[in-house]
Amino acid sequence: MGGVSPWDALCDRARKFLMTSTLPISPTENEPSEWAAEVLISVEQLSKKFCRSLKRSLFYGVSDITTELMGASRHSDRLRKGEFWALKDVDFKIHRGQSLGLVGPNGAGKSTLLRLISGVIKPDTGIVRVNAQVAPLIALGAGFSPVLTGRENVFVNMSILGLSRKRIEERFDEVTDFAGIGDAIDAPVQTYSSGMVARLGFACAVFADADILLIDEVLAVGDLRFRTKCYDRLAKLRENGTSFILVSHNAHSIASICDSAIYLSEGKLVMADKPRLVISRYEQDLLHTEPEQHAVLMSSSEGQIKNADLRITEVYFQDGEGNRIEAPETGKTVTLCAACEAGKELDGIDLIVAISNLSAENQRVLHLHSQYDEQTMRLMPGKSEIQLKMPSFGLLSGWYNAKLVIIQNSIRIFDVVESFRFRVKSDEHAEENLYYQAHTWQTVTLEQEVELNVSR
Amino acid sequence: MKTSSGTVPYSPKIYSAESELRHPLRLFKTMWRDLLASREIAWRLMVRDINTRYRQSLLGFGWAILPPVVLAFGFTLAGNAKVINIADTELPYTAYVMFSMILWQTFVDALNGPVQGVANAKTMLSRINFPPEGLLLAKLGENLFNFGIKLVLIVAIFLWYGMPITWKALLAPFALLELIMLGTLIGVFLAPLGALYQDVTHGLTIFTGFWLFLTPVVYPVPDSGLFATIVKTNPVTPLLVTTRELATTGIVSDPYRFFIVSAITIVGLFLTWVVFRLGMPFAIERVSS
Repeated sequence: MGGVSPWDALCDRARKFLMTSTLPISPTENEPSEWAAEVLISVEQLSKKFCRSLKRSLFYGVSDITTELMGASRHSDRLRKGEFWALKDVDFKIHRGQSLGLVGPNGAGKSTLLRLISGVIKPDTGIVRVNAQVAPLIALGAGFSPVLTGRENVFVNMSILGLSRKRIEERFDEVTDFAGIGDAIDAPVQTYSSGMVARLGFACAVFADADILLIDEVLAVGDLRFRTKCYDRLAKLRENGTSFILVSHNAHSIASICDSAIYLSEGKLVMADKPRLVISRYEQDLLHTEPEQHAVLMSSSEGQIKNADLRITEVYFQDGEGNRIEAPETGKTVTLCAACEAGKELDGIDLIVAISNLSAENQRVLHLHSQYDEQTMRLMPGKSEIQLKMPSFGLLSGWYNAKLVIIQNSIRIFDVVESFRFRVKSDEHAEENLYYQAHTWQTVTLEQEVELNVSR
Repeated sequence: MKTSSGTVPYSPKIYSAESELRHPLRLFKTMWRDLLASREIAWRLMVRDINTRYRQSLLGFGWAILPPVVLAFGFTLAGNAKVINIADTELPYTAYVMFSMILWQTFVDALNGPVQGVANAKTMLSRINFPPEGLLLAKLGENLFNFGIKLVLIVAIFLWYGMPITWKALLAPFALLELIMLGTLIGVFLAPLGALYQDVTHGLTIFTGFWLFLTPVVYPVPDSGLFATIVKTNPVTPLLVTTRELATTGIVSDPYRFFIVSAITIVGLFLTWVVFRLGMPFAIERVSS
């Protein structure tokens, strides 16, 4: 819990760095002519089915092999008993230099899609056309043997990734430099720390000369310094026109790295569009909420702390003019209102507001405590409202959860609102920032200086 | 826009649900291409496996030589004590068992190689797309390497027992190759199945143990009776016996059967390669990644 960890902050910075070095275009289906010649991956009506029962799955495997050997049709477009579609009728294209983000809940078929693209498994319907060298960052360090030295393992791993011996020899120094293994390269891999193994595996994959890197949530490898290196390397690859297919549960890494995104759910393609739109749709679905409802929702602590003396009856937002609003907007004046009902006069009352970002793995982004601001309050019997006024509201677009605690003299908790969910709206440009900075622009003419310059 | 860093040549790939048998020409082309492409992988995997095996062992290469020696010793003991009754062999009995056992072991290794190779690389196969032929070649290479070590033992036997040798010994490697190919054929056929069911690996151990007794390894080829028919129908018999005869006496007792089995083996090996090729993707998708 707690604040933003330095690791994540660095990660985000790295993502931003990646983004700034991207190509300034985001090709969509509307502009096919420009890109037609450069399609690297095309996926048409792609489906894949799996079976949950292991015994049956193995049996189907044998029967599929038999049918395949007869050259007969497997009727793979029909489900057999116990089977389900892990992926169903998915279409998309990736052009050279373009990067695609895959979002969706667990079991949506993201990894299946990556495996189909890399050709590890065969489609059940549809076609995958791959016109590029694909390197998977799915299985880092595949084929590493613990008894062998790092050097020997690099050669094994990179040859599995399809590099010739000559090419590996050329790249070897870069790989070891990058992994930061040093002299340990000639020691058996079983003497390495797990971080070292992961670094070596990552280094092998990113130096494998691919046109497309398939990245399946492996960017959290190694220590802080190594991560920075990873992002630098990926940024460089991007500049050289390498494409990525990125699977991530972190919406922001998708938004910043990818030109387009697709949203998969239960194997179906729900939406394919610009990352920002896809992510906002995904998050909406993920939170099972109708966006309208929650901004004014009151969710009191049911059965937890029932205290007749003081309880929060409603939580909502107001804009600068005092009007009730559903979704606060970045940069505007926003007031968070907590309506209370007190049974008697109470002194030493404080309100704690803790806001976490649902779009970024529930990370705590804000912790406000009236006591810290030396604003401890006195409440009269009956209804009153505690208002937290936030000029230039700093949260960026996304879904957030606020937890409110009302407390007396830092000891006695009267009421807790565990979950007040709300959505923040931003204009488009705010997307590119990590936080909102209130700002104004102006020009100042420095006449004297100009004249001086001229006179000289 | 700059082109990619891709100095690696690639050919466009198409993956679909259609059986690859529908386009046999394309299939054979990709099979050939992958076989060539897998040489580097095969070499690396072979070096890896040999190193891994011998680096973790004190006795090292001794393990390749020990089994035939122990077996020959045991049978000689039993034979001398008249516990078992064995007809006369054309070679000194201990040498006969030792040499035959090496050949048999080579056959069994060739048979187990593909099944083990694929089973060990299951996780890797389920995540990275690389020509699976590399696994087969790696195992083949490893077995040849092991045979090379056993060759030392063979030479020692020949010298110690003063065994006869003719110019025909030069042909023995070809017969041995047939023997290895027969083992590989069966192994390659079973490999996709072995990736799915562990029964294959377990079953093979028992099955090859039984098979040993149907092959003239610890006894000479019997002349008559039902057992003789079974032993002679056993496809390993002509290959193993011919290899042994070429290497020693130079008199091939049954060239006819040898050529028949050899021809079937060569054609069969290609066919099972097709089976392996077509079957592997289905086996891999049933393996958890």
